[in-house]
Amino acid sequence: MRARSGRSSIEQEDVTLPPPEPIDREQLEMNARQLDVTWRDPGGLWGWLTTVDHKSIAKRYIITALLMFIAGGIEAAMMRMQLAVPENSLLGPDRYNQVFTTHGTTMMFLFAVPIMNAMGLYFVPLMVGARTIAFPRLNAFGYYAYLVGVVFLYVSLFLNTGPDAGWTAYLPLAGPQFSPGHRVDVWAQVVTFTEIAALAAAVNIIVTTLKMRAPGMSLNRIPLFVWAQLVVSFMIVFAMPAVATASTLMLAADRAVSTHWFNPAEGGDALLWQHVFWFFGHPEVYIIFLPGLGMVTPIVETFCRRRVFGYDALVLANITTGFFSFGLWVHHMFATPIPELGQSLFTAASMLIAIPTGIQIFCWIATMWSGRPRLTTAMLFVLGFLFTFVIGGLTGVMLASVTFDKQAHDTFFVVSHLHYVLIGGAVMPLLGAFYFWFPKVTGRMLNETLGKWNFWLFVIGVNVAFFPMHILGLNGMPRRIYSYLAESGWGPLNLLATAGAVVVVASVAIFLVNAALSWRSGAVAGPNPWASSGLEWATTSPAPSYNFVHTPLVLGRHPLWDSVGPLPVITGLRHDRREVLVTTAFDARPDHRHIEPEASIWPFVMSLAMGVTWIGSIFTPWAVLIGLGMTLLVILGWGWESSRVKDAELVETEDRLVEAV
Amino acid sequence: MTTPATIEQQSLGDVSDLPTVTFGHRTLMWWGTVGFMVIEGWTLAILLAGYFYVRQNFIGWPPLRVDVPSMRIPTINLLILLGSMVPAFLAAQAARRLDTPGVRIWLLITSLVSVPIPILRWYELWALNVRWDTNAYGTAAWLLVGTHATLLLLDVFDTFGLTLFYWFKKMPVRVMSDVVDNSFYWYFMVLSWIPLYLIVYLGPRLF
Repeated sequence: MRARSGRSSIEQEDVTLPPPEPIDREQLEMNARQLDVTWRDPGGLWGWLTTVDHKSIAKRYIITALLMFIAGGIEAAMMRMQLAVPENSLLGPDRYNQVFTTHGTTMMFLFAVPIMNAMGLYFVPLMVGARTIAFPRLNAFGYYAYLVGVVFLYVSLFLNTGPDAGWTAYLPLAGPQFSPGHRVDVWAQVVTFTEIAALAAAVNIIVTTLKMRAPGMSLNRIPLFVWAQLVVSFMIVFAMPAVATASTLMLAADRAVSTHWFNPAEGGDALLWQHVFWFFGHPEVYIIFLPGLGMVTPIVETFCRRRVFGYDALVLANITTGFFSFGLWVHHMFATPIPELGQSLFTAASMLIAIPTGIQIFCWIATMWSGRPRLTTAMLFVLGFLFTFVIGGLTGVMLASVTFDKQAHDTFFVVSHLHYVLIGGAVMPLLGAFYFWFPKVTGRMLNETLGKWNFWLFVIGVNVAFFPMHILGLNGMPRRIYSYLAESGWGPLNLLATAGAVVVVASVAIFLVNAALSWRSGAVAGPNPWASSGLEWATTSPAPSYNFVHTPLVLGRHPLWDSVGPLPVITGLRHDRREVLVTTAFDARPDHRHIEPEASIWPFVMSLAMGVTWIGSIFTPWAVLIGLGMTLLVILGWGWESSRVKDAELVETEDRLVEAV
Repeated sequence: MTTPATIEQQSLGDVSDLPTVTFGHRTLMWWGTVGFMVIEGWTLAILLAGYFYVRQNFIGWPPLRVDVPSMRIPTINLLILLGSMVPAFLAAQAARRLDTPGVRIWLLITSLVSVPIPILRWYELWALNVRWDTNAYGTAAWLLVGTHATLLLLDVFDTFGLTLFYWFKKMPVRVMSDVVDNSFYWYFMVLSWIPLYLIVYLGPRLF
């Protein structure tokens, strides 16, 4: 095999590999030096604003999202303090409404989805053996759009204009009649920013996964984390337009220019909101925890020293969950007048989705059963995930039943269920993933002793905080109330839940201290401290700006376990410009070389133009026109930058290969 | 200390003579373009679902005291849109042949043909014969036509920009691939308009 003939170079099965040619150390060093000059970010503030390195952008995403996790956590703690005892007056009703709405909005839109995307933006290119992500400038734009949303929400909150109609912004409460002022407008625009960011990330992850995999990484060899990211990215492409439409083209329009989507007096319909919102909102739950499930597999494989049981089943379960998740949204609407046939259909679908999730759980249990588990903190978090997530899943199956749902609807039972699913299914695997991949990002290990404190306090705290809420819900305590009477009898369990929340806060504090201390002075990690199997471990920790000196060649599903000796690679990409290898979508055969853009200020400028447009539109619809004009100018600048002439290129036209300038 | 060069490697292939410019579905940009087509097409589909959802609340469509949409300007614009696919196609063909003069001419013709499209689209909005704030029917129709118009405007501008660059700037050969993708996206804008035209303008007359 020589990758000489354009399209057909790497065959999957009947491959005859040429004798390997070891690359000597001096050559490697020279290549690395040249690549560093080509791919390194410029220095200073300008370099910071113009970087398009997927790892730098993803790190910012992760840190910003973690700050949002802390902000959302502080809001949760405020709510728990308020509800700890009956008739408490720590927060008044108006402040409480803003706090619980901002908590939900922050955790769903500004923490969970962005951090899961960010993990993909950081690791997908490394795991598929690519030098960078498919569209680096789009990636940077996505981050800045998200950042505008973050700043806008929190500035508004501190100006007493925080959204206050719940993270679901139900109509008619969120409409112009019952929510005058700009609080709901803030919510609608924050959602828009984050959706645009999520869509940019999703397209990037899809194209990187399908077209930039290392030669030999056919579809049936894609790591399961990347599969999860791919499925989730497709889900984002179909789910996020629904909420962007609902929030910007419907809710914001009703509020700003008196359209009538939700005004029954003029033929509109408040229930339309619930349909469009939940068509996004239900897949959103899976968008948040499917990446979490993707993180579980490499952790289990690494710490059980065993290839995962049922790779095919896990991939199929991922894809089926993605499909089914779009057929469940009406189970959020069982308390509205839905025809009986619809109720039955959505009940069945809601129960059905437990099957692929169950398959995944059994595959991991089988892997652990037949392996030799080593209980590191990352592995403990996987066990915590299994325990907590299964409880959340079971209450989900209960809520799928219409008769039960009608009793539990809008009570603390639902609050408990959703936190078990989201904390169990997403936050616990994410914390495990931090312990697992922290060395790759920082070059240093997290402290395991602090990690175990972090784990035990977290699992105990979460269960003490949220389990009592099941009972509170069954006892009739509604969600989204700022206070309750002592006679209700809800006081003791609420106090217990608050105690649990305090334990969770302590656990998160330990994690933050651990991360800060370890980043500065943790044990040095080396390229592959866990002796794991993925390509991300085939480069230094942290990875250099160009990820790999040479593109790895993949000979199996577990590249670092499947081949012994020096890393098999493909050479021939130029080092003096930002060249990446594009491969075919199914078999990952080398197809052509593509030149990626260098550092650019346009993504930042574009996000500012978009910020002015959407934030301005709250105050005057003319801002949309001004913003459109600015956007058009930015497109021109962006395009101008893309069309700088550099070198002659090898062009493959329909029948020949020509060199042209 | 580990550096990237201390990880031992062996070469099993070389890609230095693979092309650096290709066209269509082989390129990253084509896949990205398809991604955004799906996102935008899906957004229009969701608005369309909203259009049919609020329709259930009306006995007549258009509602009482609202005229049916005028057909003349929308039909003229539809014909221009369909016609504009021809120079867009020829620009893409010229790009595939690396024929720079051809690309210049056909991009210019595409741009010139596109000039009346956004202008007529403004009159098309008023051809709905209802305001966005009259009732939910007006809202749904305006938002559908308006959203498509915004995407259309962005792409018309994109084509203008590309034309300007090709006429006044030395362009690298790799942008030929972008010309092909620009035409590809334009077909999407035109073809996605056909169902919207039929539903929003013709539909109220028929049903």
